[in-house]
Amino acid sequence: MADSPSFRRHPLPFSVDLLRWLPSSTSSARLIAAAVHDPTIPASSHLHLLSLPDPASPLASLPLPSRPTALRCSPSVLAAATSSGSLHLLPSSFDTDSVISIPSGAGFHVGPVRGLDCGGEEWVTAGEDGRVHLVSDGGDGRVVARRVCDGKGMLGYEAARWASSAEFATGGAGCGVQWWDRRKGDAVVAQCKGIWGRGVAAGIVHSIDIHPSRKHICVVGGSSGAIFAWDLRWPQQPIPLSGVGLHETAEPICESEVWEVLFDNYTQSSDIISAASTRILPVMMCSEDGILAIVEQDERPLELLAEPCAINSFDIDPQNPSDVVCALEWESIGVLTRGRDAMAAE
Amino acid sequence: MLADSGGGGAIVPFSGDPNHAAPPPPPVRPIRHGVAPPISRVFVSWSSGNLLQVACLSGGRGAEEVAGSVVEVNLAVANGSAEVEQEIDEAEMRRIEYGSVPAFALLQSRRNALADAAAMQHMHSVSERAEWWQYVLQYSKTIGKLLGSPDSLPGLMIEDPRAILKVRERPTSLKAAWELLEIFYVDKNLHSWLPERLVDWLADYDSLLTKTDGTVYCKLSDFQKKLINLQVVENDPDYWNGLSAALSVGWLDVVVNMLRFHGSYQLDQMDNRETENGLVEAVAVLVSTMPRMRPDLPTGKLGQCCTSRPDFIKAWEKWRGQVSKLECSAFWIQCGHQKTRDGLKNLLHIMMGNIKDLTAATSHWLELFASHFLYIRPFTVGFEGMHHLAQKCIQLKPSFGNSGLTGLLNGILSENPEVVLAECTKKFGPWMVTHSMELLAADNEYADIMLHEERPNFGGLSIEELHRLVYAQVLSSHSLTWQIAPTYLSSCLNQGLGLLEILLLKQPIQDNRQVLKTLELCRLYELENVSTNIMKIAGIYHWKHGRKGTGVYWFQQAHDKVRLDRIAQQLFERIGKSVADDNFKQWEGLVELLGSDIGSAGGLEFLHRYRDFKRSLQQALEGRTGEAARQTVEFLIQLMRNPSTPQRFWLPLLHDSVRLLNCKPCPLLNVAETTLLLNKLQELSMAKLRPDFCTNHLPSHALSSVRLALASNLARAILEEP
Amino acid sequence: MADRQVAQLGPGTACCGWNHCGRRLAAGAIDGTVSVYDSQPSPSSRWQAHEHAIVNVVWLPPDYGDAIACVCADGTLSLWEEVAEDDQLPSWRKCKVFEGGNSHILSVQFGLLLSSLKMVTAYSDGQVKVYELLDSLELDKWQLQAELQNITDPVSRNGKPACISASIAWSPRRGESQQASFAVGFNSDSPHFNSCKIWEFEEAHQRWLPLIELGSVEDKGDRVHAVAWAPNIGRPYEIIAVATSKGIAVWHVGFNPESECRLSTESVAVLPGHNGEVWQLEWDMGGMTLASTGSDGMVKLWQANLNGVWHEQAVLDCNGSHD
Repeated sequence: MADSPSFRRHPLPFSVDLLRWLPSSTSSARLIAAAVHDPTIPASSHLHLLSLPDPASPLASLPLPSRPTALRCSPSVLAAATSSGSLHLLPSSFDTDSVISIPSGAGFHVGPVRGLDCGGEEWVTAGEDGRVHLVSDGGDGRVVARRVCDGKGMLGYEAARWASSAEFATGGAGCGVQWWDRRKGDAVVAQCKGIWGRGVAAGIVHSIDIHPSRKHICVVGGSSGAIFAWDLRWPQQPIPLSGVGLHETAEPICESEVWEVLFDNYTQSSDIISAASTRILPVMMCSEDGILAIVEQDERPLELLAEPCAINSFDIDPQNPSDVVCALEWESIGVLTRGRDAMAAE
Repeated sequence: MLADSGGGGAIVPFSGDPNHAAPPPPPVRPIRHGVAPPISRVFVSWSSGNLLQVACLSGGRGAEEVAGSVVEVNLAVANGSAEVEQEIDEAEMRRIEYGSVPAFALLQSRRNALADAAAMQHMHSVSERAEWWQYVLQYSKTIGKLLGSPDSLPGLMIEDPRAILKVRERPTSLKAAWELLEIFYVDKNLHSWLPERLVDWLADYDSLLTKTDGTVYCKLSDFQKKLINLQVVENDPDYWNGLSAALSVGWLDVVVNMLRFHGSYQLDQMDNRETENGLVEAVAVLVSTMPRMRPDLPTGKLGQCCTSRPDFIKAWEKWRGQVSKLECSAFWIQCGHQKTRDGLKNLLHIMMGNIKDLTAATSHWLELFASHFLYIRPFTVGFEGMHHLAQKCIQLKPSFGNSGLTGLLNGILSENPEVVLAECTKKFGPWMVTHSMELLAADNEYADIMLHEERPNFGGLSIEELHRLVYAQVLSSHSLTWQIAPTYLSSCLNQGLGLLEILLLKQPIQDNRQVLKTLELCRLYELENVSTNIMKIAGIYHWKHGRKGTGVYWFQQAHDKVRLDRIAQQLFERIGKSVADDNFKQWEGLVELLGSDIGSAGGLEFLHRYRDFKRSLQQALEGRTGEAARQTVEFLIQLMRNPSTPQRFWLPLLHDSVRLLNCKPCPLLNVAETTLLLNKLQELSMAKLRPDFCTNHLPSHALSSVRLALASNLARAILEEP
Repeated sequence: MADRQVAQLGPGTACCGWNHCGRRLAAGAIDGTVSVYDSQPSPSSRWQAHEHAIVNVVWLPPDYGDAIACVCADGTLSLWEEVAEDDQLPSWRKCKVFEGGNSHILSVQFGLLLSSLKMVTAYSDGQVKVYELLDSLELDKWQLQAELQNITDPVSRNGKPACISASIAWSPRRGESQQASFAVGFNSDSPHFNSCKIWEFEEAHQRWLPLIELGSVEDKGDRVHAVAWAPNIGRPYEIIAVATSKGIAVWHVGFNPESECRLSTESVAVLPGHNGEVWQLEWDMGGMTLASTGSDGMVKLWQANLNGVWHEQAVLDCNGSHD
C-alpha cells in the first residue's frame, strides 16, 4: 500500500512537555510550537518554534519563567501557561518581541496552570490553585484577567475547554467535570463525577475536548485509563469510551494516565450514516504507558503507536488532519502521517 | 556506588586475590566552590544516584558576601577521563541510554520465558538453549544500530574520484568496542570467517586505534592532503607507502583506486609508458581478484568471494600462482620508472606474504595482526593461535598511546572475560558494561558463571547484578533518565527492588504530574506500599501548602484513614467554635471533599448531616420561606436524635437555631419535638457538673437563651395543638 | 559538567541539612537565622529561629510535610514547618520548642515506624530521650516515650558525664513490620557513655533496650564523632559506620531472627579516616558507598569490593583555591 501510515522519531537535546501545530503559510515548512525544559539547567524552560522535517534546532525561542504546563494555539495567538502560574501570549507568527505576559501571584494564579483554552475573544485559565480566570484584550497591548472563581485550594483544576463563547468546561482532581455558563452568572450549571477504573472512586481529569459540531458533548481523559464522553443533555450518564468501567470482559486500551484527548475528524467513523445522528466522533488519546490510539463508542480501540516511553502530549494538524505530532518522554518528538487507505482498511 | 574512576581499587578486582598489595591511593579531585580558604566546615549529602551535594563553609570571620557554597558533584562523571565522555556528548549518551531500554527489556523477558520453559521441562540452563545466542545477536544488532551505523552514507553524495578514504559518519570507539564483542562472543555465523570479519572491523575503526602512534588510516589521510598539490604521484614515496599500507590491511578498493592515479594512465603521455601501465593494471587486477573466505562482499569492496573452504583453498593457490608469476615476469625490465617498479614489486611481496614487507607496511600491531591473517595464514579458523600471534605482533610493534579498543581485544584474545569486563568498566563506562555482559555470557560458560555467581562477601550480589545497580545509579543521577533505571533494577533479583523503592521514594512530590509518573512505575512493578507512601507524602505536602483539596484527594487515594479522620476531627472542632458564615463555604468544601464513602467513622456521617442542617439554616434565614425553615428544623431533630452526634455539639446546634425559632410567628416544632430538645438540654445541664465536660466557645448566656426560645416555642405549640 | 554550583550561603552559616530527596537545603547561622534554599542560588525563605547560634539542622521525614528541627547553642530545640494559606506564599511557622532543662540538647534525629513519627534527642549529660508525635497532621503534640542513658551496664550509671557531641542514626528501614531501632554514641569524658549502642523497642514490654554495643574490648570507650546506618536494599545483615579518633569502623550487624544467637556483630574494616577529626558520615541511597568529611577539608568515598575488602574509592578536596 503506497499510503501506509509512517512514523518518525526525532531525538532532541531537551525534554518536550507539550506540542502544538502552528498555522503555516503556504510555504512547505511545517511549524510546531514546543514547550521544553531541561531539568538539570536552572531557568532552561522555553517555548521553541520548530519546523519539520528537521526539528533539531529551533527557529525561534521564548524563555519562560518556569516549566510550561499548558500550551494552546488559536488562529492568531499562541498561549503558554507555566508551573509557577504565569501566562504568556504571543502572535502565532512567533513574534517574540510582542509577547504579553501576566505574572503569577495573588492577582492571578499561584502554582501550575494546566487548563488553558482560547474562546475567540477570551482565554480561560484554570489552575491547581482552584482559580478560574477569563483573560481578554484590554486595549493598548494590555490584557485583563478577571477572576471567575476562587476555589481557595479546595479544588484543583487540570483542564479547561471552551464550548461556545458563553460556555466552557473544566476538570480536575476529585471534582470531575464541570460545565460553566457565563450567561448564568459565571456559575457551574452541571457537574459529573465521571467513570473511573480500578476501583477508584474519583480520579483526576487531565484533558477535555469539545465535540466539533455538537457543542453539548465533550470527551474527558484522566487517571487510570479513563476516557468518557459527557453529553450535557444527560449529565448524570457519562458514556465510557476506553473500556474502563464498561464491563468485565472489555480490555481497556490503557490503564495508566490519559494525558490528552482530542476529537479526530480524520478517522472515518465505521458507520458514517448513523454518525451524523447519535454516534460520537472517534477520539484520539495519548497515555503515560506510551499508547497513541483512537477510541470510539462501542468499537474496538485502534492503536496507532505503542511507544516504550510516555507520550505526554500530541496534536492533530488542523490544516492537514492526517498528520499527528507527539511529545515523547525520552527527549524526542514523533511525527505520524496517516494514510487514508490504511485507515480505511481497519 | 560509583563507576570506577580509573584510580584506586577497582570494585571488581580481576586478580581475584583479596590479599594482594594495597591499591594505590585514588586521585584527588579538587572541588571548585569559590569560597575563600580556609574552609571551616564541610557538609555532604547524597541526593539521587551518584549526586553528592557538598557544602563548604568559610572559616574567615570577615564580612564576605559569600561565606559558603554548595556544589553538586556528579561522581559518575569522572571529569572527562573516560574515552566515551570525550567522544559522545551528554544528550547523545542519553539517546543511547533511552534507545537501549526496549532491547534490554526484550532480552530479559525472553530469558525469563526460556527459564520458565526450561523449569517446566527440567532442562538445563538458559544459555545452553540453541536459540539463545540468536536472541542475543538480535539484541546486539539493535544496540549496534543505536550506536550509529558507519555505512549510513547519504545517497546523494558526489564522490570525488581523487578521494582515497570515504567521508562518512565519525566512528566512535563505543560502537567499535560493541562490534568487537559481538564478533567474538555472539555471532556464531562468523566462526568460519572470523579473520575476514576482523579485517572489516579494522577498516571501519582503524582511525580509533591510537591517538599518538601512526596508523594506516593516518598515512592515507596525510597523503590525501598532500594529493591536491601533487602533479606526478608516482614520484612521491608517500604514494607507494600509502599503497602498501592499504594493501597490507586488505583495503583492496582503496589500493585499486589509488593505483589508477598513476601517471601511466594519463592519455597525453609524451613517452611510451604502455608496459608500465600494463604492470600497474596487472597488479590492480590481482589486487581486485584476491580470494576471500567470506559469505558475501558488501558493494564497493573488492576481491573474489569464496563461501566454502575447499573453493577458497583452490582459488587461493591459483591466485598466489598468478602473483608469483607476475613477480617473475620479464616485463619488469621494460618498466623505465624505478619508483613504480619498486613500489609495485613491494605490493606483490605483500600479497605473497613476505613478513618483512608486511611489518614495514603496517603501523600498529593490530594492523600487523590483521595482515597476518590476510597474507600469511589465510586458512586460520576461529581462535586458533590468535593470542600467541597478537603477543608476537605487540612485541614487533609496541604501542604506547593505547586506546581501550586494543586493551579490549587483548582481553578477548587471551580468553579472559574478567579483563574484558575491567576494560569496559575503565574505558567505556557503566552503560557499556551493563549491556555488554549479555554478549559476554551469550555462549561462554566461564563468563556466565563468573557473572552470575553470588558473592557472599558482597551481600550476596553477583557481578552482573552489581554492574546493573551501578548503572541504575548513574541513570538515577539525572532527572530525565531516572525513569529508565527501574528496567535495570527489576532485572536484579537480589537487591534491585530494594533500591527501586528507595529511588521512587526520593522523587520530588511537589508536582502532581510527576507524582502520577512515579505512581505509574509503582503500579508497573507492583509496589503498592511505596505508592501508598508517595500518595501520603504528596497529600501532606499539598495539605500544608494551602491546596487542601489536592491533599485530601491524595489521602483518599492512599486510604489514609488516620489522617482523614483527623481532618474530620478538625472540622468538628470548627463547629464548636461556631462556623462563621464566610468560613462556612470553605468548611463545606472540605466536608464535600471528604465524601461519604470513606466515612466508616460515624463522625463523617454527622458532618454531612450538620452540613445539610447548616446549609438549610442559611437558606431559611435569608429566604424566610416556610419550606426551608421546616426543613432546617427536621435536620435539627434528626441530628439531636442521632446517637452519633457528639454531646458537645448539642448546645452549638441549638444555639445556631435560636434565631430561627424566635423569628417565626407560628411554632416550628411540635410538642413532642420541643420536649425532646428540652430533655437534651436538661441532660446537658447535668453533664456540665461532671469534671470531664468539654466547654464550648459559646457565650455564657447561650444555654439560657436556648432554653427561653424552646420554652416559648413549646408554649405556642401547646396552644396550636388540636 | 560534573560539578555544578547550586547555592551560595550567606555570612555566618554554621550548619546545613538537606531534605529527603536532596533538593532542598536548610542552613543555620551563628546569629540564629535559618535560610532555606530551593535549587536557586539565593534562599527562598530566611527567618530568625533562635537568639543564639544554630548548631544543627535536621529535616523531618517527608511524611510529615516540609519541616525542620533546629538545635541551638543555648541547648534548646525548635521545630518549624512550611505552610501556605490560600494565596499567600509559603512561610515557616514555629510548631514546638523543646527546652534542654538542666542540660543542653546536643543532637536530634527522626525515625518512622508503625506509621508514627519518633524523635530521639541526646543531651549534654548523656541522657537520651525518645518522643512520639501524637497528631498525624500537626507537629505540636509530642509525648515523651522513654528516657535512656547510653550505657549497657547499670553499675556505670554513677555520675553525670560531660558530653561535647552526640551522634544518632535511625535504622533507615521504613517497612511497617520492622522493629524500631537506632544507634547512638557520645563524645564525652565517660567511656561507658561513648561507645555506640543499638537500642531497640521491645513491643512486649513497651520499652527501649540496648541491644548491642559496637566496639571491641580495647576500643569501647573511644569518643564517637559520627555514626551512619546504611540503607539496606537486600543484604542479610545491616551495615553501620562509626567514626572515632582511631578511624572509621564498618560494622556488619546481623538481626537474623532464625539463628540461635540472634544478634551478631563483626567489625569488617577500620578505615584510616581523615587527617584530623571525622565530621560527618553519609551513606548513598544503595548503602554501598560511604562518604566522610573531616577537619582536613576532604570528602572521602569508601567502598567494598566483591571480596568484601573496603578501600578508599575517591577523594574530593575542598581546600581549593579561590576560583
